[in-house]
Amino acid sequence: MIDRRLFTHFDWAILSVIIGLICIGFASIYSATHAQMPAVYMKDIYWIIIGSVMMLAAIVLSYSYLERFAYVIYGSSLLLLISVFFIGSSFSGAKRWISLGFFTLQPSEFAKLALIIMLARFFNEKLISDKGLGLKDLVVPAVIMIVPFLLIAKQPDLGTGIILWMIFWSMAFIVKIRTKVIAGLMAFFAALAPFGWMFLKDYQKARITSFMNPESDPLGSGYHVMQSKIAIGSGGFLGKGFMEGTQGKLMFLPEHHTDFIFASLAEEWGFIGATVVLGLFLALIISGINTASSSKDRFGFLVAFGITSMFFWQIFINLGMVAGILPVVGVPLPFISYGGSFLITSMIAAGILLNINMRRFIF
Amino acid sequence: MKPGKKPKSYFKLRIYLVTGFFLLFFLAIFGRAVHLQIIQGPSLKKMAAKQHRKTLNLQSKRGDIFDRNSKELAVSVEVDSVFAQPNKIESPRTVAKVLSPILGVSFFELEKKLRKDAGFVWLKRQVDLKDEQRQIVKELDGIGIMKESRRYYPNRQLASNIIGFTGLDANGLEGIERYYDSMLKGTSARFTGEKDAMGRTLVYQDPDKTVPLEGMEVELTIDKTIQYVAEKALKKAVDKYGAVGGTAIVMDPATGEILAMANQPSFDPNDVGRFDINHWKNRAVTDVYEPGSTFKMFLIAAALDEGLIKPSNSFFCENGNYRVADRVFHDHEKYGWLDVSHIIKYSSNICSAKIGEKLGKVQLYRYMKAFGFGSRTGIDLPGEATGFVRHYNKWSGVTLHTVSFGQGVSVSGVQLLSAVSSIANGGFLMKPYVVRSVKDQGGHVVSESHPVVTRRVISAETAATLTEMLVGVTEEGGTGVKAAIEDFEVAGKTGTAQKPDFKSGGYARGAYVASFVGFVPAKNPRLAILVTVDEPKGEYYGGLVSGPVFKEIAEESLAYLGVFKANTSAPNMEVEGDAVPETDGGEALSDPAELRPMAVPDFHGKSVRMVLRIAKDRAFDVEVKGSGRAVAQHPFPGASIPSNGPVVVEFR
Repeated sequence: MIDRRLFTHFDWAILSVIIGLICIGFASIYSATHAQMPAVYMKDIYWIIIGSVMMLAAIVLSYSYLERFAYVIYGSSLLLLISVFFIGSSFSGAKRWISLGFFTLQPSEFAKLALIIMLARFFNEKLISDKGLGLKDLVVPAVIMIVPFLLIAKQPDLGTGIILWMIFWSMAFIVKIRTKVIAGLMAFFAALAPFGWMFLKDYQKARITSFMNPESDPLGSGYHVMQSKIAIGSGGFLGKGFMEGTQGKLMFLPEHHTDFIFASLAEEWGFIGATVVLGLFLALIISGINTASSSKDRFGFLVAFGITSMFFWQIFINLGMVAGILPVVGVPLPFISYGGSFLITSMIAAGILLNINMRRFIF
Repeated sequence: MKPGKKPKSYFKLRIYLVTGFFLLFFLAIFGRAVHLQIIQGPSLKKMAAKQHRKTLNLQSKRGDIFDRNSKELAVSVEVDSVFAQPNKIESPRTVAKVLSPILGVSFFELEKKLRKDAGFVWLKRQVDLKDEQRQIVKELDGIGIMKESRRYYPNRQLASNIIGFTGLDANGLEGIERYYDSMLKGTSARFTGEKDAMGRTLVYQDPDKTVPLEGMEVELTIDKTIQYVAEKALKKAVDKYGAVGGTAIVMDPATGEILAMANQPSFDPNDVGRFDINHWKNRAVTDVYEPGSTFKMFLIAAALDEGLIKPSNSFFCENGNYRVADRVFHDHEKYGWLDVSHIIKYSSNICSAKIGEKLGKVQLYRYMKAFGFGSRTGIDLPGEATGFVRHYNKWSGVTLHTVSFGQGVSVSGVQLLSAVSSIANGGFLMKPYVVRSVKDQGGHVVSESHPVVTRRVISAETAATLTEMLVGVTEEGGTGVKAAIEDFEVAGKTGTAQKPDFKSGGYARGAYVASFVGFVPAKNPRLAILVTVDEPKGEYYGGLVSGPVFKEIAEESLAYLGVFKANTSAPNMEVEGDAVPETDGGEALSDPAELRPMAVPDFHGKSVRMVLRIAKDRAFDVEVKGSGRAVAQHPFPGASIPSNGPVVVEFR
């Protein structure tokens, strides 16, 4: 099964980028939590070890297995999501986790991968006309996405839910949608937006209004954004230095080891550090697209592109929020934010990318 | 890729489109980082610092202030300050109800503070609690007591304008408290800690290890009793004449030590806020006024010292009308021929102007500067005024005349009294001071003040002659009879100066400064006293308004000091001693240390035998260390000879 050619085609550069991001992530988590919550960074070590094992498996096992077991993967992911409602444990008003003794599992994270694999298999098998996907063609894949989305939105976990939508549209777009359909859908959603507003919870509304004008209520809902900007900005060009950050440690910056970790990173490492992290992410995204376009088959192409788009949207929404150019939505930053299931999912996804990449010449 | 399903070009286009979109986003985030971290960086950095930096004042006990007899003038006492941690309090209502009567703060106000969303809030600082009240407060959850040191002035208004006061955080704001703030404060330090979002303070320095040293003690030259006498006498006069204010300064003319410095209006430093700001200042130091006739004594001193006049020389006083250029000078009574003694006794402006003419403006100016007018005395109190003496180059036609009787110059009280003291002590201008010594908490002397001769101004003979004439002022027929004391001769001079009107120029109608300055006993002075009363109503002659104040202060202080008529053994004053080599014409001496009989000579380079001989001549003890030539000594040259203990001289 292990071909020597696989080894020669292995992309060490992507692996280094990923390892680099994980190291930066661990350092940031350590710096942010060692004073108040030392248990957190200890746990992070376990997550990194488990993640590495899973990533190795994702690299080694040919991704053709993913196509073969797509239904099983998708089905079991739905089952996990459903089981959250029965055996899940809740934390600060959201029921997202299944407790497995010493660690907890967050099924919504794995659902993202399951969706990508499922959609890839669907689009791969479907015959698509030259004009692209029509409205009718979109119904089935939309249902594939909507089912896990509703289950996740119910938890509630708006951030992950949005990522599912973005994955779906990105993959559909790359497969090709009719231009008319794209225009129609855009108009439709724009008209729907005011009604969607009514369905949002109060705290979600507050996030959006405070995004529009954060200074209006700096101690209330604009607090996150203001604090995040202060943390990033106070880092300046060279940063305050490793473990020298104050805004996160002194708890002015909320969620400073999870969603807002980029702010504490930018505070300690400054503009230089922020630029390095941005560069690593850019390298990841570019090589993801390269992997997709050079993959040997359409399934590989779709999976690689789906994973790349997943990474991109997470980076996009997270950094946009932290930098104050998007509303606050709870989306973590791949490889950097703390979160066990999230890290493992990201590492598996990266493993699959490497897998597709090294098998591009092996038929 | 499955071949042939769709045109490849469109597929490529989508890939490029997506890639382009991705790149655009990275560019946006990069731009945002530039904006936040480089352009807005500095201002956001400040905001961050404001959020978490907190300076904590760990104040050590402030040093006490004593008078010259170690009587307390300012002390620090430990008092309670009550604070709350609102987020630990379950029922602000009940807590407020319990605390309101104990702290004397309204229920409403307390409840408002307790409902604050803060980690820490002062409820009442520096409050006196009884033991049982303290017990009640301590038992409340979320309420605590901190010990703070509060300044307490046991004598209330007494000497308040000298001592000054401190702010709530124990910073000296006025007077001695301000001038000696760094010493009184000790080494107490500010700690920069950080506070977190909950308002909890995290101090990164262990305060227990760096407990600051307690402040040092300051001992003043002020004598509490004389200060009391001076304040009482001054207040009586100010009240009697409905005056705006006044000052009374008592100085030891031999040393420059200030024994008392009374001010009206005054204030209670225990309750500063109740008084107007202009009650706080020490007018004797910070304010200047036109000295008027008191200034004539310096004119006469100069003319005598220059050998231009003798006490018996007579001048024609023009019968009260003397025209110079476009001005006509008047006397308050018409005089014909007067000798110099009587010119000063009756205080004739016209004859003073004539003496001025004789002296000339250059010499008059030189002597004024030599007496210290127009420059600070260097007294160790904040805000000393310079006074104003115009350079003779800028004098107009009549300035020489007006300055001769004290118009067109301004002086501060301390300045004037120092100058008068130089007449009293035989010609030495002494630097006035109010602090004798500073001691640390262990009682070790950290710094000690010794009399400092600024310069010799006039000769001993001039001083003696002038003193004789000044005694005449308080004798029958003089302007200062009301200042005379039964048992002692008083040398002095009255002053009645119109106050300048700053609005219209010229002088204000009916607004006078009535003053009397002098020293007593005249031949062997122990006290030099200046009394000024600002804008008295009704009576306004210096002799009538301020003379009695002088008399009261002088009489009571001399009695208190145990100076009696028969007592001629006053130890301080033998200034006219023959050890003083006279140089020509009262020139300011370049090396006062060599010439002042009470000062320690410079032993540098002298042999042991030489040093011992000098010491024997001057009658003081010497402790010899080592052998060879003298290399170091204590006290330093020019300082006064210590009253007890030897002068230590080191030889090598």
